[in-house]
Amino acid sequence: MKLRYNPTSPYVRKCVVMIEEVGLADRVERVMTHPWAEFTDAHTVNPLGKVPTLIREDGSALYDSAVICEYLDTVHDGPKMFPASGDIRWTALRRQILGDGIVDAGGDALREKRRVEHERSPGWIVRQMNTVDRCLDELELEASTFDGMNIGLIAIGSGLGFLDFRHPDHDWRATRPNLTAWFAETSLRPSFKSTEPWEWVPEDGGRMNTWTGWPRDAAT
Amino acid sequence: MATAIEAGVVDELELETTNPWDPDTDVTAQNPIGKIPALTLPDGDVLFDSPVICEYLDSLRDPPRLFPPDGAARWRALTRMALADGLMDAAILRRRELMRPADEQSPWWVERQLGIVNRAVDAMEEEASTYDGMDIGLLTTAISLSYLDFRVPDLAWQDGHPYLTAWHERFSKRPSIQDTEPRE
Repeated sequence: MKLRYNPTSPYVRKCVVMIEEVGLADRVERVMTHPWAEFTDAHTVNPLGKVPTLIREDGSALYDSAVICEYLDTVHDGPKMFPASGDIRWTALRRQILGDGIVDAGGDALREKRRVEHERSPGWIVRQMNTVDRCLDELELEASTFDGMNIGLIAIGSGLGFLDFRHPDHDWRATRPNLTAWFAETSLRPSFKSTEPWEWVPEDGGRMNTWTGWPRDAAT
Repeated sequence: MATAIEAGVVDELELETTNPWDPDTDVTAQNPIGKIPALTLPDGDVLFDSPVICEYLDSLRDPPRLFPPDGAARWRALTRMALADGLMDAAILRRRELMRPADEQSPWWVERQLGIVNRAVDAMEEEASTYDGMDIGLLTTAISLSYLDFRVPDLAWQDGHPYLTAWHERFSKRPSIQDTEPRE
């Protein structure tokens, strides 16, 4: 299988943490892809032009990250990251949406900040960061019950890593000790340590973005 | 709503009209993300977003379900749902951009989102001749096209997409689509 991969994307990170947690690293090749680059080919495998996209052995493409993660969870024999049914399933899926919600709103704010000044809406940035804070407050209430690893916690960890990476001046830890402690511990897991986000600018406007393999090794 | 109708659980839903854009909205009390839909369960727990709500509602009915339980049918349905949701996301982003004050708009962003919509419709057309029966992927696909009719009629997505158009016309006769046609 091939994963359309970008080291800055928290949605990609969800998939790679998943891959590491369930032991599928040998079966998924990463294909560096920059959906924002001028000459990107992201849309040739996914009409939405987004990463992550998973290309399966038969050539068919799966997206978005929630679908990819759920699929990957069916091709290994270890402990499952998606509870099969009942309350624990809905709790995990709901938490996945909260983690993704941090990324959606935080990403929206980031894109707004990066606009040329006359196209920027300061009110919109505030609105999005308020959404981030509400998600964080909700998660703080639940953090003392976080246990083990599942898709909900993977998404939350990826979301918090994204905040540190893209909004380092947003001090989310100050009023959220439980979430802070959980994230500190979770960040030590090999799956999270090996997927810390890092900035990658594609060469040649993205024409070269189909380099495959382990990006960290290639970058050095 | 369409899922609830298809699953036969619509009578169990109590609908609360909500405007998430109202500064005084209380939707954030149920969903910190501040979006609709949000579903409050009998025990007070709240589910969001729409794929999670749909899968939950679907789990309340007897098989065959809108969410195929496993195998190729499941991944095809879920990816189609993601494509249709992505189409709607892009159409909404474009619309939201066009609602900004003229001097805060980004023409580049508007074009980018429109490109996503067009590519998604093209991808649907390629598969439309194989669309068969009913599942969450097809239901979401139909809803996304109805949304384009509602919010982006000028796009005339039907042009150049004969298979998709024919399928959408047939599929839209279902009560679940008829009864949930968007209105202002």
